[in-house]
Amino acid sequence: MPKRRDIVAIILIVLPWTLLITVWHQSAITPLLSTRKDDRRDGRSNSQNAFALKDSCSLQNRDIVEVVRTEYVYSRPPPWSDVLPSIHVITPTYSRPVQKAELTRLANTLLHVPNLHWILVEDSQRTTTSVVRLLQETGLNYTHLNVETPRNYKVRGDTRDPRIPRGTIQRNLALRWLRETFSINSSQSGIVYFADDDNTYSLELFDEMRSTKKVSVWPVAFVGGLRYESPKVNKLGKVYGWKTVFDPRRPFAIDMAGFAVNLRLILSKPQAYFKLRGVKGGYQESSLLKELVTLSDLEPKAANCTKVGKQGTLHVLRPPESLEIFGCHDNLFLKSINCRLTANSLRFELI
Amino acid sequence: MATRMKLKLKTVFVLYFMVSLMGLIYALMQLGQRCDCTEHNMPKDRTISRLRGELHRFQEQLRKSEATKQPQKQPAKPTIFVITPTYARLVQKAELTRLSQTFLNVPQLHWIVVEDSPHKTPLVTDLLVKSGLTHTHLHMPTAKDRKLQEGDPSWLKPRGVEQRNEGLRWLREDRRAQPGGDNQQGVVYFADDDNTYSLQIFEEMRSTERVSVWPVGLVGGMKYERPVVEGGKVVRFHTGWRPSRPFPMDMAGFAVSLKLILANQEACFDGDAPMGFLESSLLQGLVTMDELEPKADNCSKVLVWHTRTEKPKMKREEALQAQGLGSDRAVE
Repeated sequence: MPKRRDIVAIILIVLPWTLLITVWHQSAITPLLSTRKDDRRDGRSNSQNAFALKDSCSLQNRDIVEVVRTEYVYSRPPPWSDVLPSIHVITPTYSRPVQKAELTRLANTLLHVPNLHWILVEDSQRTTTSVVRLLQETGLNYTHLNVETPRNYKVRGDTRDPRIPRGTIQRNLALRWLRETFSINSSQSGIVYFADDDNTYSLELFDEMRSTKKVSVWPVAFVGGLRYESPKVNKLGKVYGWKTVFDPRRPFAIDMAGFAVNLRLILSKPQAYFKLRGVKGGYQESSLLKELVTLSDLEPKAANCTKVGKQGTLHVLRPPESLEIFGCHDNLFLKSINCRLTANSLRFELI
Repeated sequence: MATRMKLKLKTVFVLYFMVSLMGLIYALMQLGQRCDCTEHNMPKDRTISRLRGELHRFQEQLRKSEATKQPQKQPAKPTIFVITPTYARLVQKAELTRLSQTFLNVPQLHWIVVEDSPHKTPLVTDLLVKSGLTHTHLHMPTAKDRKLQEGDPSWLKPRGVEQRNEGLRWLREDRRAQPGGDNQQGVVYFADDDNTYSLQIFEEMRSTERVSVWPVGLVGGMKYERPVVEGGKVVRFHTGWRPSRPFPMDMAGFAVSLKLILANQEACFDGDAPMGFLESSLLQGLVTMDELEPKADNCSKVLVWHTRTEKPKMKREEALQAQGLGSDRAVE
């Protein structure tokens, strides 16, 4: 019957076209991924395909991570990659019996992180030989600085005064070194992280912070008298508050180890430093962060800073220690202390 | 009927033409358009493909270097079996994470983790799997009367005895069933989860023939405790606490060769020994003082530290929990 024949004819014509379109749509995306550099694809138009795309991406990611782990296990530190942004880890340290143990432990952790640059700033008049030897033996890519906190700014006897933070001058020196060494126009991407020598860091933390565009944040365990403190993240993925008990009304109620800053942001705001004078306990981090970002610019990591069922893991764990704190003046290290910068290529003195 | 068919055919062709035209236009539009997908998707994939390229390059290099090394085949290094007793507490995950990161730097290391628990906990299981280390996960609960209660000082009862003995038992019995279980080349080291180990200590202990010893930092109330070496032999121990012990050293200050462990099937830790005599209770049955092998440059370098982790202050957590607002328990 003609009617049926026509229908069959129509189907036979339309069918290959639909097949062609679906096949083309799927295959059009994958070659674009590996070859195109500047163009972007709208993978979201077809939700089904986008889902498949996401799956394949995460699979590839995991594959690479697994392979990288087993291949590089005994090559320490991992070879420098031209693709990954560098992580500049700033660690202030001071001489005490456990110093060598803490630095050894931290170095053992950092040896697993690719493209890591360790900036160790000693609180001392000159660099100590034991630390120099430790750094050389690790084989890490490091910069060794030192600046002594002036004696008269150390509060004598009272080591628990929360108004005066420790390590501030050292961290500021490292920030200054970064600004002297890297120019804002260079294409090198980098992330700056303040890592104290007595904390524990998981390796996933460094992977997560590498994608920081401005400032990223995540939960920290065993701080502020809680099992963990974390930022509050709304459904849109934006930070709107802080889940802490100790003064949650701080502009940035976060621990030093709970955030990372993109190097470009540091370089673009050359006046942003940790405030030395007149900083209330717990406001150290805010004194720097409020000059760099606003709350809405923060990028939550670690699965939007929430638990994901059993996979909720915390990335920074810190055993609390007694704080020896010093009092300091604003901009003191720039003006009136002898500050010696010894870096690989840079040597000058400030008076 | 013929005209009807013709019409039908014409419409079919027209349809065909329209569909293909539309498809072409759509394709052209797709190529020219900038997509608005989330920013990280594209660079991530770009990064992945570039990383893949790098990975392949490195694999090639590795293969090439291995090919050149083939003629000089090196004998396999003796495996270091590290026995770590552990128990559940707030900082357990942090300690084990730190430890795994140190061990990941050491080749030929087999980590034996023994939990003080009636069954294996998922926290430790997941951690071990994610760490990428060669490991064995055991568990052995401590008897109630031997266990430290809340508020007991840490020196009241010896800790980790049953767990370490369980590790020794596994080495002597269960390990034989595993591939490579006949290999008696190895060194056994008892590493507590809160100490700090430098990477050199593992290379030093690898050459242990019977029992080797070295200094331990920050232990016994001193900057370090160490064996005093004269003429390449240990003559006495420099320690501040009870130097009259047969082997006055810390658990982290010695390693025993696997051969010796397997040859003395009865040697294990004695939980009833007085405080500080735990190490001696094992070593007495294995070796005498002049048979000890001094490492770490004739025991002059400190390569391991007996650090302790302070218990985190949970005052605010407890206050919140009383109100029912405690931190999420599921987050480790």
